Amino acid sequence: MACLSPSRICARVQDKLLCHFGHKVQVRRQTVFVKLKPPGPSPLRIFGKTCQRVTTCGPACGSAGGAPSPPRRAASSLQSTSTGSLPDYGTQIVDPYRLLEDDLTGIYEDIRSELERNTNQSELNTIATYYFDGQGKALRPMVAILMARAINYHVYGENSAILPSQRQVAMISEMIHSASLIHDDVIDQSDFRRGKPSVNVLWNHKKVAMAGDFILAVASMMIARLRSDDVTLVLSQVVTDLVQGEFMQLGSKETENERFAHYLTKTYRKTASLIANSVKAVALLSGADEATSELCFQYGRNLGLSFQLVDDLLDFVSSAQAMGKPTAADLKLGLATAPVLFACEKYPELNPMIMRRFQEAGDVEKAFELVHKSRGLEQTRFLARKHGMEAARLAAELADSPYQKGLVVTTDLVLNRIK
Amino acid sequence: MSLSRFMRSELVKVAPVVSKLVGPCASRCVSTSRPSPGAVAQQSGKPDWNRAVSEAEKIVGYPTSFLSLRWVLSDEIANVALHLRKLVGSNHPLLKTAKNLIYNGKNNMQAWGLIVLLVSKAAGHSPEIPDMEQDKAAGVLHSQRALAEVTEMIRTSHLVHKGLVNMNTRSLQVSAAEPDDMMFGNKIALLSGDYLLANSCSELANLRNQELVELMSSAVRDLAEAEFMGVRDEQNNPLPSRPLPEGERETAEEWDNILDPLPMKGILGAARREWSARHVLAAGALLGKSCSAALKLAGHPPPLQTTGYLFGCHLALAWQAFLDLEAFSGPEPARFSLVGAPLAFTLQARPELYEHIDKGTRNHNNVDYHALYMAVKEGDGIEKTKQLQREHIAAASDVLEKFPNCDARTALSNIIVAMNGDHLC
Repeated sequence: MACLSPSRICARVQDKLLCHFGHKVQVRRQTVFVKLKPPGPSPLRIFGKTCQRVTTCGPACGSAGGAPSPPRRAASSLQSTSTGSLPDYGTQIVDPYRLLEDDLTGIYEDIRSELERNTNQSELNTIATYYFDGQGKALRPMVAILMARAINYHVYGENSAILPSQRQVAMISEMIHSASLIHDDVIDQSDFRRGKPSVNVLWNHKKVAMAGDFILAVASMMIARLRSDDVTLVLSQVVTDLVQGEFMQLGSKETENERFAHYLTKTYRKTASLIANSVKAVALLSGADEATSELCFQYGRNLGLSFQLVDDLLDFVSSAQAMGKPTAADLKLGLATAPVLFACEKYPELNPMIMRRFQEAGDVEKAFELVHKSRGLEQTRFLARKHGMEAARLAAELADSPYQKGLVVTTDLVLNRIK
Repeated sequence: MSLSRFMRSELVKVAPVVSKLVGPCASRCVSTSRPSPGAVAQQSGKPDWNRAVSEAEKIVGYPTSFLSLRWVLSDEIANVALHLRKLVGSNHPLLKTAKNLIYNGKNNMQAWGLIVLLVSKAAGHSPEIPDMEQDKAAGVLHSQRALAEVTEMIRTSHLVHKGLVNMNTRSLQVSAAEPDDMMFGNKIALLSGDYLLANSCSELANLRNQELVELMSSAVRDLAEAEFMGVRDEQNNPLPSRPLPEGERETAEEWDNILDPLPMKGILGAARREWSARHVLAAGALLGKSCSAALKLAGHPPPLQTTGYLFGCHLALAWQAFLDLEAFSGPEPARFSLVGAPLAFTLQARPELYEHIDKGTRNHNNVDYHALYMAVKEGDGIEKTKQLQREHIAAASDVLEKFPNCDARTALSNIIVAMNGDHLC
């Protein structure tokens, strides 16, 4: 008995995975998986076989990770007996964007139509929908939906589907993000974003500011329509954090210790809070208990911090073309991010530059050079990895599912991205 | 609920449910022995705005200006004050906005929160609301007071965002003059406005009433929409649309659901409709929705909430008409609102005057204000505006009749009397 039950569990795990991949194959080209597969011939063969078998069981087993039907269960347990234990390909294969392709398609269209429904002024509509062109990474909605599916799986088991309200939260998170981008563009007078002219170059600044308010207002209406007091409170916190983070960015601290704490708090408020609170919101909507919601929140917080640290890093190493916006932009704006703050330890001459916000001629170039000479970039990556690992550790506490694996993979995606 | 109803100034008739409710002021009116504020306001002969407002403030507790202690003590506002100092000496409009907010003139309607509180008190609240949630001394609910604060924050945030400088112009006079100051001013203005907006979000969330959050968010949306309506110069100052001959106008649609955006069909080019729609979006919607929300918090039924909305909307429009008239009551001003009712009616009667407006498409200062002023004075625009104002005042007063007679109601009628344009010119 003792040795039987683990194998049963193993079979079940595989069953879940198979169901998931079967679904994918039915909907999409098989070649996708060939690309994503880990090297080695044996898993490849398993994969091919299962795909064929599962496809034969019809659409019933596909939609929303539906209940496994008896014939397929038989097929998969047959599989497990013939090939032994399941190879550990989960974390390498699951590409969250592909995993959620169905959930994510149309998300920008839905946001655009929601905005369009809320105005009869065509220019307002044009400005407000400008950044919802589908060219962004859609990281926030992706993480929100991924968490929604993972937490539903955690709470309700494999028969769970995503709730419409959770998808709304995913849309809202992207809307709040864009509203803040639009206001940032006016504040920072940036020329390019996402590889195209930014809003402040194209339109009247007063109208652009109003368009930001408009997006926020529509997002708040969507939040209110979810009719959940707790979700509204959680998401209103995001807006407060964003503004407070923006205010923190106006000033700088005298001592190094204070400066780093200031930087981390600012990073949490400006970036991580949105991700953390939106995954918390989807957890609340699924009916998860307080401890689980808190776990989700911490996952989002660590992922967000890791994301922003990498962003600050890329500002020093990536090319303008890859980013779709100019590099060393933070220095030019007078902002000292983690790489600079770390570099400070070795090159104290950076201190006065930080205090004068790199305003004097040559400051930006000098600081850029010193950061590259120091270990600042390395240390920033280390810190980002630490937060990424913490996020992965938290995700591992959720029930095992493709989506839960997706959450783990996302932490890698965030760390290893080049733009 | 519809624009055309505003124009005909008919009101939805609602049964006087209010009297059944235990209004805190209903009982107090009987026992109070002090002279009613109305009497005070009228003693001086001419109705006095400031007195009407300060008497009203005594009735609902403390003055509702957003510059309460909490605001002064907040880090962010301290930050803004610090940065504002750097802007002194520059030309950034944020300074003017700040000044207007601090000097509580009637011109920028800082009394909006006050109106919301007065309506709250005048209507009373359902007996089911626990004592804990009431501000017994003032006769309003704590939640209503928070709502009044939200109304002012939203209004202020909008004013501050409206006061940005557009630096994206072809005529670079503004931005070339002092680009750094302008950029910095814009930054501070945008952030302060966002700060107020973010705070109103969390205040609203704390009320734990999602219908209310939806209603108030829709008011923020309306304010944003207002800034896109019609023709604009490069600094987004509004210009009136070219008047359309009566035969070419489309029929306007009803605004049946105030959670949906205001329909724009048949609005532009029709003087009265355009004026109403513009000021409903820019002012009426927020005041109306706030009054409606205050009644919702008090547990009043939806028909009364609708009446509350109409009251706020009519009051805001009457107020706007009063402001429009004020420009023509004293000595000739250098500038006056180009989208005011007197000019709208004058343009409608004499479409050839629109050539003056055409000159202002780049900058409204290029408009020959003197010529338009004279044209308004000669025509019947002022008289028509007074008529318009009387209709809105009558409509607002009709709603007041539905509330039990009490000090808050008297204060509201005093405010209405104080802004009667007939006293002006």
